[in-house]
Amino acid sequence: MKIELLEKVEGEALLEYSFKGSFIDFVNIKFTSFRGIENILKNRPLFDACAINPRVCGICGHSHLIATSKAIEDILDFKPSLKASSIREITLLCEHIQNHLKWLYLTIVVILGKFGFLKRDFLKVQKAVIAANKIIAIFAGQYPHTSYSLPGGVVSDPTFVEVTQAKAFLSEIRNFFESEILEREIESFRDFENSHLLAAQIFNFLKEKDLAHIGRAYDRFLILSQKKKIINMREYIADTAHLKEEENRDSFAKNVTYKGKFYEVGPMARVLKKPLIKDLHRRYKDSLAVRIISRIYEIREHILKIEHLLDNLNLDEPSFIPFPKNISGFGEGVVEAPRGSLIHRVFTKNGVIERYDIITPTQFNLSNGTRDNPSVSQKAIISLDDTKKAELVFRSFDICSVCTTH
Amino acid sequence: MNREALRGLFTAKSAKVNTNKGEAYYKELYKRCQKRLEELKNLTPVNKVSISEILEDEGVSRRDFLKWASAVTAMLMLPSSFTPLVADAAQLMNRVPVIWIELQDCAGNSEALLRSDGPKIDEIILDIISLEFHETLMAAAGHQAESQLEDAMEKFKGRYLLFVEGAIPIGAGKEWCTIGASGETFEEHLKKVAKNSAAVIAVGTCATFGGVPAAAPNPTGAVGVMDIVRGKPIVNIPACPANPANMVGVILHFVLTGQIPELDSLLRPKFAFGYRIHDNCERRAHFDAGEFVEEWGDEGAKNNFCLYKMGCKGPMTFNNCSIVRYNEAVNWPIGSGHGCIGCSEPDFWDKYAYERPMADANIKAPTGGVEKSVDEFGLGLLTAAGVGIAIHAAASAVLGKRDKEGEE
Repeated sequence: MKIELLEKVEGEALLEYSFKGSFIDFVNIKFTSFRGIENILKNRPLFDACAINPRVCGICGHSHLIATSKAIEDILDFKPSLKASSIREITLLCEHIQNHLKWLYLTIVVILGKFGFLKRDFLKVQKAVIAANKIIAIFAGQYPHTSYSLPGGVVSDPTFVEVTQAKAFLSEIRNFFESEILEREIESFRDFENSHLLAAQIFNFLKEKDLAHIGRAYDRFLILSQKKKIINMREYIADTAHLKEEENRDSFAKNVTYKGKFYEVGPMARVLKKPLIKDLHRRYKDSLAVRIISRIYEIREHILKIEHLLDNLNLDEPSFIPFPKNISGFGEGVVEAPRGSLIHRVFTKNGVIERYDIITPTQFNLSNGTRDNPSVSQKAIISLDDTKKAELVFRSFDICSVCTTH
Repeated sequence: MNREALRGLFTAKSAKVNTNKGEAYYKELYKRCQKRLEELKNLTPVNKVSISEILEDEGVSRRDFLKWASAVTAMLMLPSSFTPLVADAAQLMNRVPVIWIELQDCAGNSEALLRSDGPKIDEIILDIISLEFHETLMAAAGHQAESQLEDAMEKFKGRYLLFVEGAIPIGAGKEWCTIGASGETFEEHLKKVAKNSAAVIAVGTCATFGGVPAAAPNPTGAVGVMDIVRGKPIVNIPACPANPANMVGVILHFVLTGQIPELDSLLRPKFAFGYRIHDNCERRAHFDAGEFVEEWGDEGAKNNFCLYKMGCKGPMTFNNCSIVRYNEAVNWPIGSGHGCIGCSEPDFWDKYAYERPMADANIKAPTGGVEKSVDEFGLGLLTAAGVGIAIHAAASAVLGKRDKEGEE
């Protein structure tokens, strides 16, 4: 048995490896902190959740805020204006961008350094990260932690000036991304292999070090906000009703299964059908290399999406449609957070929260399963011959302990 | 709300901000700071990063840097003649080792510090101060990181500033939160690292007052740093997240004067928490004119009217957001149209963070609090700093002192 303590996961995680010969035959995943957010929400006025929930996480607080708004809106089957939905999406995607960039430079590049990969300066990417945060601030007030989205819409009412400002920041991100990380036009594997930018450098490095194929899991994915699951590249309809959350033997993170099985959520699931990733998947399946490149690729998708949303924002629409307060019933909000599908469920009576459940994406990926039924990340680690490789695979899921335990 | 309590809140000596202490005072202070900086210059830097080189690399001109320095000088409530000293101090930040630990938190303050503010301030923070240990930032992880922390604590014994992010669970659930392979509780860990620090700076509302984990029913019995650490100077920089400008301000103040800045009764630096959001709010004119948002999305909302009736807690929240703003001053919550939720006040989850207007809120004026003499801290800090600075001869007159008379 070898225990490794993982830091830099916005908290801590413990990995307890057991070996058979020189191969890892099981790994126990433990998270060692707990705040009890769901207990705190109980018996509070419903709308208080909009101030508390963004604080579940310092990185993806936006996703939690928007999931909260959606869950409460779902009680009345309410749909906000297109403008409000677009603004929510713009800020949400910016949150993805800054998260992915940070993960790439502070986690992946650093850990690949242990295998000999060239070091990169975080300060270089920081400007792009800051630009993404500024776009969030334009619409939401600040980053991290805001409460600008409420059941009914968003409270900000941007003018043409703000939209133009946001576009300027977006083009900063785009210029950086396309000149340093991944070119805009690359969609085929052949072109990708010949690129000299960071994404391709990482990929070619993994290949060279024989790391590209490792870290495979079940090749089954959930994209719950789109009610989709993808198994061996085939799409099916999925429904959150099949999710099950279970207490964990010795960690404060609860396990999450879909019809009793573990599924992967996150960027790989979301971009799997895009030409380049599809091409990569055909050769490397759901391996470490594809998982890493997917997350990078998604940044490019998001930049284009935000551009489109900003161009088509109809400022004449209302930002907010009045929403009643003393409501009763059940609501569910599902959003795609940076690390995958995030689900908020609220049970309320006369405007007071009776019960609140949060299922975070990292719970899906980092569940602590058994030897007979290992979770996605466990499956990806088992049979590796080295804990350094295991750590790389583990971190390719973009770990966040605060969300996992909440 | 009780009018008397409210009056008490705003007339208490500890709540008063004195921005003009007289020419003689500043002259004296200037000399002392100069001397302190001279002495710091002679110390070996903890790391060898030079600010001028970095700024040059980043295309920041000397002029921009001085503009930044003059803004910080104003923020620290010093006369503009101190600008060159502040600029010098910024370049000497690598003489002060900093250790940063995360407890029961969401990492939002690290996020705010590292990724949200302007490259200029960030660079100064990241490269010039000597961040000896920051678990999210540094390259080492796991056991290696643990031993790095031990090394830093030993090497800079009595000299490092300890930044703490996150609350400390001491209730029934304390064993739910542990750190490191040895499974230390957060409380043990904090006490251990705080023991040999020069001063402890609690960053964010979780570390200062328990924050969200301490919200009723406080499932883990979470408390703030000042409830755990004894016999050390403590500076509280609350808010969720804390503004990076204020973190930099505290470090700069320490480098410049060797002391922690003047604090209010809740141990918050007055330069940042001396005013209410309401005092400098961009929407204040609408409050005075009686123009309010009455419902989200109404005409008032479209015209940026006052958010008081929508539950804005700006009138009861002490912080400098309305001046400093967030994300390189691009915006701040009220700017986006949502009221202030009082995130820098104690118990804000239970008393501030909702949409009910203040008139219906059970907010008590936060008078009382932890009354501690800053003079005592100042002295303790200088001796503990152990960098042989002799500016404390007349420490009682140094900036960073709080009026002794207490309440009026």
